[in-house]
Amino acid sequence: MSGRQMKLGAFLWATGHHIAAWRHPQAHVTAGVDIDHYIQLARTAEAAKFDMIFCEDAAGVREANVNIASQTSRSIGFEPISLLAALAVQTSRIGLVSTASTSYNEPYGLARTFLSLDHLSGGRAGWNLVTSASPIEAANFGSTGLRPHADRYERAREFAAVVTALWRGKLDGVSGPGHDGRSFSVRDPLDLQRSPQGAPVMVQAGASDEGRDLAARTADVVFTAAQTFEEAKAFYDDLKRRLPAYGREPDDIKIMPGVAPVAAETESEAREKYEELQELIPDDVGVALLSSYLSISDLWRYPIDGPLPELPASEGMQSRQALVIEQSRRDNLSIRQLARHFAGARGHWRVVGTPAQIADELEARFEGGAADGFNVMPSYFPGELYTFAALVVPELQRRGLFRKEYEGRTLRHHLGLKRPA
Amino acid sequence: MMRGSNDRGNGAAMKLAVSLRPGEAPSDVRASAGPDFTLLARFVQKAEAAGLDMVLLADSAPVAGGPSNSQVPFESTTLLAALATVTSKIGLVAAASTVAHLPYNLARRFASLDVISHGRAGWHATMVPDPPEAANFSRQEGFSRDDFRRRAEEFIGIVQGLWRGWDADALLFDQHGGRFFDPEKMHLLDHKGEFFSVRGPLNVARSPQDTPVLVLSGLSGPDMDIGARVADVILLDEPLVAGAKADDLKRHAVAFGRNPGAIKVLMNVAPGAEMAARPDVIADRLEESFRSNCCDGFNILMPPLESVLDDFVDLVLPKLRRRGLVHPDYRNAALRSHLGLAGEEGR
Repeated sequence: MSGRQMKLGAFLWATGHHIAAWRHPQAHVTAGVDIDHYIQLARTAEAAKFDMIFCEDAAGVREANVNIASQTSRSIGFEPISLLAALAVQTSRIGLVSTASTSYNEPYGLARTFLSLDHLSGGRAGWNLVTSASPIEAANFGSTGLRPHADRYERAREFAAVVTALWRGKLDGVSGPGHDGRSFSVRDPLDLQRSPQGAPVMVQAGASDEGRDLAARTADVVFTAAQTFEEAKAFYDDLKRRLPAYGREPDDIKIMPGVAPVAAETESEAREKYEELQELIPDDVGVALLSSYLSISDLWRYPIDGPLPELPASEGMQSRQALVIEQSRRDNLSIRQLARHFAGARGHWRVVGTPAQIADELEARFEGGAADGFNVMPSYFPGELYTFAALVVPELQRRGLFRKEYEGRTLRHHLGLKRPA
Repeated sequence: MMRGSNDRGNGAAMKLAVSLRPGEAPSDVRASAGPDFTLLARFVQKAEAAGLDMVLLADSAPVAGGPSNSQVPFESTTLLAALATVTSKIGLVAAASTVAHLPYNLARRFASLDVISHGRAGWHATMVPDPPEAANFSRQEGFSRDDFRRRAEEFIGIVQGLWRGWDADALLFDQHGGRFFDPEKMHLLDHKGEFFSVRGPLNVARSPQDTPVLVLSGLSGPDMDIGARVADVILLDEPLVAGAKADDLKRHAVAFGRNPGAIKVLMNVAPGAEMAARPDVIADRLEESFRSNCCDGFNILMPPLESVLDDFVDLVLPKLRRRGLVHPDYRNAALRSHLGLAGEEGR
């Protein structure tokens, strides 16, 4: 192998990352009830040598307004851990990473479930730690309101510490002390063998200050959303700078921003493909999605062709909100424009062009020290995953930026991560 | 007597399940076996080839100083998902504790498993109080017997309610019209109870078999009402009182407005080494219990070893089949169909 190579995740989500994906003639509209579709996607990503497939998660229907929800495909789908367990025995090399919330789980159960997934897959599992801010999720777990941000993270820190200790066999109430903390108590060690890769991979996505701190302390991989090179670089440098405080080295964390590619043989075809998707977004769906990113409920009251109103700071996803506001001011976008812009890639970085143009962009961020790899978010499935695998991956391989073969069998090995003691 | 002529007279077949129990293999086997999905997959595929109705996957509750989960070295729901992709007919039921999970998460996991398996999934909940796993789930103090029972009942009600949150025809997939689902066919649960409040709905589609099958075990006195009201399958331990209990359960089910056939009572049996040595005796015993109406079939407890399953499938099962007691093959793909359960019917 030559120099440093980029890591690639295939972010699988419903019919696609574009909000109107399900209406596209080349999207598989029944994706959310078709396991064979997902097996096919996983095998496609594996044949293209992706490091991992990634599934996000929310414990609830995302959109409170049922009429808005009914115009998108995101209200139903597979629960990701059962989905990945099914995919684990239908693939042999690719990593399998799922999101699960520290807000609505217990560390013992989560550690045990992911370790089981790790055994089923022979050491290819990873957990993406998130904390939940959504009142829609909270309503399914008997809580009346949101906990303030700091409490969520305090719980998450304790949660992550217990899970890590369980995976490493360092928590054992029989031969040593169990855990009895503020949010959780655990008495026994796990009743499963140690992970084939030492411990499942820890992934994180929170980008607020507390989120970054938790990532610096515990994460092996960090997913992030960054529109511009400068944002990506600033995040990358900031996170890597936090590592020494926790006795860690820069290489111990792989930072993988999301990228929503729209690739075609020619640039005009790629633009056409993108516009075709944008046309399928109903206005009320776009505005509702934007509202949820801004954690406000009455965006629809403002003129859709006018600017974004001044907004109060929210308890929810602080970093994502800042990103949206910054973009609207920078590019002087109306609510409709901003809604469509964000609906396509949900605030992630979108690149439209030929395979060479997309590879150029990825290479610039990778070589410029703004990313260790990318979490690829195809617009619709299966078509756009096939396109990326068939057009962009070979271009990256030609440039020596991405592997042509897997060299190991575990996710840790793919990512170049140390095996934990 | 509600059952006798109704069920058996129609030639209802004996239901047969096998339970994989961790820690039941001889210790030398246990020590040598690492986590091996392939062996478990072969075991379940063999059970499917033999036409058994379902496999029950235990989920070990670790007990301090107790045996580790080395024979079934996976968490039960993840194992079920994996097994679903390498089988196509046999029912797959996973044990999952009401203490180790929250109702929304559990309902969602099993709903998803049911879609993955094309309608072959079931949830096995136990009513045995004071589960040892409480100590690992931030419940050092455990539960009083009564709290546990009320909580479990509420938990099960929420799970079954969430499973019915989407009508079977709710998804429209109307790409041109821009209507993915019919909002009228999505229902909030809006449950507010003593232990939980859950708004719903699940973000998983309606089960291909209406709802996953609910299997209950560990029922004692006051639990019988719960079982009669909500269970699809009830596992009973004691052969001597099973008949009376089964009658009782079905009578209660009728009182709750259900069809007596809406509950299948399976008796746990652990034939062990006797299977190979005296298969005729085992077959006689099963036939006798079945014909005397003390159960609808059997849950055969065995270690997950192919040789043990072989003994049952090759020696005992052919005798039951020759006597016309079991179906020769699956008629449909769904677990409810194997068990003669008809979804909402009888409710």
